[in-house]
Amino acid sequence: MVRLITHNLLACHAKGCTTNNFPLKLQDVVVEVREAEFNADFLRGFLPRIEWTALVNAAKELGDTSLPLEMPEMVDDEFLKNLHHVLLEIHVDEGAMVCPNCGHKYPIMNGIPNMLLAEHEIG
Amino acid sequence: MTISSYIFVFAQVHEEFRIPELLSVSELYNISLTFPGGDSTYADVSTPFMIFGLECEEHAHILARRCILVKSIHELYATGKTYDEIHEQNKASKHLWEKYIQDTSFKFKVEAYNHSIPQRRQKEVVVAFSYMGWLGKIDMKNPEVTLYCFEEYRDKRGSSASLRHRHEGDGDFIQVYFGRLVAEGTARHLVKTFDVKKRSYYGNTSMEAEISLLMANQTLASPGKLIYDPFVGTGSMAHTTAHFGAFVYGSDIDGRQIRGKDNTPGIMRAASQYGVSERIIDLCTFDLTKNPWRCGNLFDAILTDPPYGVRAGAKRLGRKNESWRPTEKFLANRLEGEPYVPPTKPYELSALATDLVLYARYALKPGGRLVFFLPTVTEEYEELDLQTMLCEGMEVVANSLQNFGSWGRRLITIRKKTSQSFPPPTFDASARESLENAAASHTPAHKDFREKYFSGFKRDTPETSQPVS
Repeated sequence: MVRLITHNLLACHAKGCTTNNFPLKLQDVVVEVREAEFNADFLRGFLPRIEWTALVNAAKELGDTSLPLEMPEMVDDEFLKNLHHVLLEIHVDEGAMVCPNCGHKYPIMNGIPNMLLAEHEIG
Repeated sequence: MTISSYIFVFAQVHEEFRIPELLSVSELYNISLTFPGGDSTYADVSTPFMIFGLECEEHAHILARRCILVKSIHELYATGKTYDEIHEQNKASKHLWEKYIQDTSFKFKVEAYNHSIPQRRQKEVVVAFSYMGWLGKIDMKNPEVTLYCFEEYRDKRGSSASLRHRHEGDGDFIQVYFGRLVAEGTARHLVKTFDVKKRSYYGNTSMEAEISLLMANQTLASPGKLIYDPFVGTGSMAHTTAHFGAFVYGSDIDGRQIRGKDNTPGIMRAASQYGVSERIIDLCTFDLTKNPWRCGNLFDAILTDPPYGVRAGAKRLGRKNESWRPTEKFLANRLEGEPYVPPTKPYELSALATDLVLYARYALKPGGRLVFFLPTVTEEYEELDLQTMLCEGMEVVANSLQNFGSWGRRLITIRKKTSQSFPPPTFDASARESLENAAASHTPAHKDFREKYFSGFKRDTPETSQPVS
């Protein structure tokens, strides 16, 4: 778990941390690939929500370079298959996500990211 | 398009959930469901038998496959208060059944609700239909057609129940329904599949299977949809929504609920048992009021059972005593290597409900649904209570009570009817107060629910607090 789709949706939310708080940096990760159900409609519907550069870079960091640097205008089957793999099949099971701005470290244990904030980080 | 009438036989449980479920599943599959009298508001759910119009038989099959409360659906040949009426109508419906006369194998069943018909009379009932002249062979095991005759009796529970002979009052029915079985409800067995006791991981706050399934149907869960439970706990509804094909996110302020004691998170262990683990996208530990979601307009539905303080109190990050701050010494005394657990404070229910609706307006896609349980004090509840939590762009589509006596919980379904974007809510009192809704000054019965529950729902009026002399 912590699939890249999730990594693409989570930003640092500590008090006052509002710029450069996304994407979180992946650190000391243990990665596993697990097959997931392919659903073209879901992928097409989700495309507009994706921060593309963040996704491409995160995939690259974990060794997957199947995605084009720019989001293509024409969505074909080949592209959807690659997108499916990157978004849903690459799991970060251990490690941490670190805020590039404030440095808050969100640990990942047994696939569950701990996004709780400390007392001094909430408004 | 011609509309045909069908007899629906429902399980006599969770009656208030019946129509909302039918309407939700109909909406999901684009089925046009016609109510007798044209309006759902007059539908009588005190009886298991109801008649609806459908455009085609395939729609009956779809509803019977998905609706948890449907036991069976039959093509209506006749209904009336006497057998004379039944036979007269049935003859007029000949165009519906004459195609089966020549060589269709069949069986005939006579059943009663609130009663047991002696076998002798069951036979008489069957014989009385012999004018239909069916020539096909009678097949009790695998008939091509099953004809059902249902007699509905008044509820005889009460006064002389234990002394009554089991066939007493035979023939004193209030209504008879006659038709051909189209589809048996196949979704009801899911109640057993998802039985909490047979689940590999559950907690003391796990939602019972039948309600979890009804909740999932209210979200219109289907393949390709993204559904979020912000108080996921042990994941009861995550499993049922994933079963219907949706992708699911869950979060909780208390990660222990998600994980359990094993290395593999408990929710995932149970998900494997149900074959849905790949549809649980991710489970995260965080507080909804301080959430890390980067954007809104994301989910097709938000489905949750917020903690309301009876078995588990609602908590949010912060301290009860807002002015107290940890001293240097306090922080220094924390044990090295011990995981940091931030302080939490209680989250009052009516505030939580209002925040949840505001958050749903931000996080749902247009047309998306928020489905959640709201506990209420039975005697104090008013329609207006729901208005206090609504905001512009959100409308209530269903509200079903599960009654526990002095209190109950309402399954509320709210739809985001606007396609306008709204900013994320701030989850503080000022945001709730600035809500310009019609019921802003009304105090809902679910406010301070926890306190009311533990004081036994006694109203502190002068009359009741005075000692009895």
